[in-house]
Amino acid sequence: MHLLAGGASKEAWAVDADGEPLLVRRAAGGVIHAATLSLEHEFAVLEAAAEAGVRVPKPVAYLGELGGREAFAMERIDGETIGRRIARNPPLGLETQLADELAKIHAIPPQRLPFLRSGDILERFYGELDSVEDPHPAIEYGLWWLREHRPEPLPEVVSHGDFRIGNVAVSETGLEYLLDWEFAHLSDPREDLGWPIVRAWRFGADERRLGGVGELAPYLARYAERTGIDVDEADLHWWEVLGNVKWAIGCLTQCRRHLTGVDRSVEYAVLGRMAAEMEYELLSLIDA
Amino acid sequence: MPDRPVAPELVEAVWEFLSTEILPTLGDQRLKFRTLVAMNALGIARRELDYDEPDLSPEDLRELARRIRAGDVPPDAHSTLKAHVATKLRVSNPAYLEKYE
Repeated sequence: MHLLAGGASKEAWAVDADGEPLLVRRAAGGVIHAATLSLEHEFAVLEAAAEAGVRVPKPVAYLGELGGREAFAMERIDGETIGRRIARNPPLGLETQLADELAKIHAIPPQRLPFLRSGDILERFYGELDSVEDPHPAIEYGLWWLREHRPEPLPEVVSHGDFRIGNVAVSETGLEYLLDWEFAHLSDPREDLGWPIVRAWRFGADERRLGGVGELAPYLARYAERTGIDVDEADLHWWEVLGNVKWAIGCLTQCRRHLTGVDRSVEYAVLGRMAAEMEYELLSLIDA
Repeated sequence: MPDRPVAPELVEAVWEFLSTEILPTLGDQRLKFRTLVAMNALGIARRELDYDEPDLSPEDLRELARRIRAGDVPPDAHSTLKAHVATKLRVSNPAYLEKYE
């Protein structure tokens, strides 16, 4: 048994049980972000996703508290998860495979997961931005523009909440698993649909709009075919601006984990200076 | 007046130490990545020490943020903000701006 990664809020342990490779996710000491699920709820989401036929590591058991912190066990999987490596050499057909999985997630009945939070996303962003204290007028400008151009909402669906390259495992033949379900919530389906197109998640392969791995058209066409929800590239513009606002704020709040001493880490520290990249991108998107 | 090495020279010395003496010895991918992150942080600090571009003051930023939140957006807000963010990027990640040229 050994520790694979010590994160801010979660530990990951490799455990072999009767020759079966397992991964045990356990809460770490740090303060858990308000928007993340408890491990019990994350496990329930993983089970619901597995039942719906989504490609996820097989959920094995919720373990309750292990040494005072909750944990669950799931299948330990192989596959490439590093965004930059996937974007350098994306497997063929990844666009439509991503759309297939997203369609299955969005078809999970919300009543199956009654604990998932909903609520106004812009209000949530204002709350998070205010927790940062230092003024960020470029992000305020993005939020103001989003307020002024809000699209008609679509009915809410069960959303993954962090659906992008970096949270998938792929092999040479394509998508194998969707990982990291801790941000699952109820939202407009276009929130998930537009998140992987944010420039930061193209991992340097900027010319491939969808996560640095492919084109938008086949992804949106397959999603429409599977769900009946027809979204075109122009519809996603608002959600792409929203994604940049979300990640800019995410960088600032994660940096505060370091600055406030909750979780000292050079990685969190530099995120504070990365927010400007999303600010520039959102201003450029609004300009266009 | 401090003796040399002065702050930029100290930052450079630490960056060179990490780059030439530490990085090549690391086998662990995660540690390698974190070392590169640390070197990036030193690069930002190094550029910031030479930074003398005019930019909005903290009071200007606070006032602009307040007005935008209230929906009272100055007509030149977009161009003002783009210039302000570009100034920040020339310190934090000058290569990033090249994507938009």
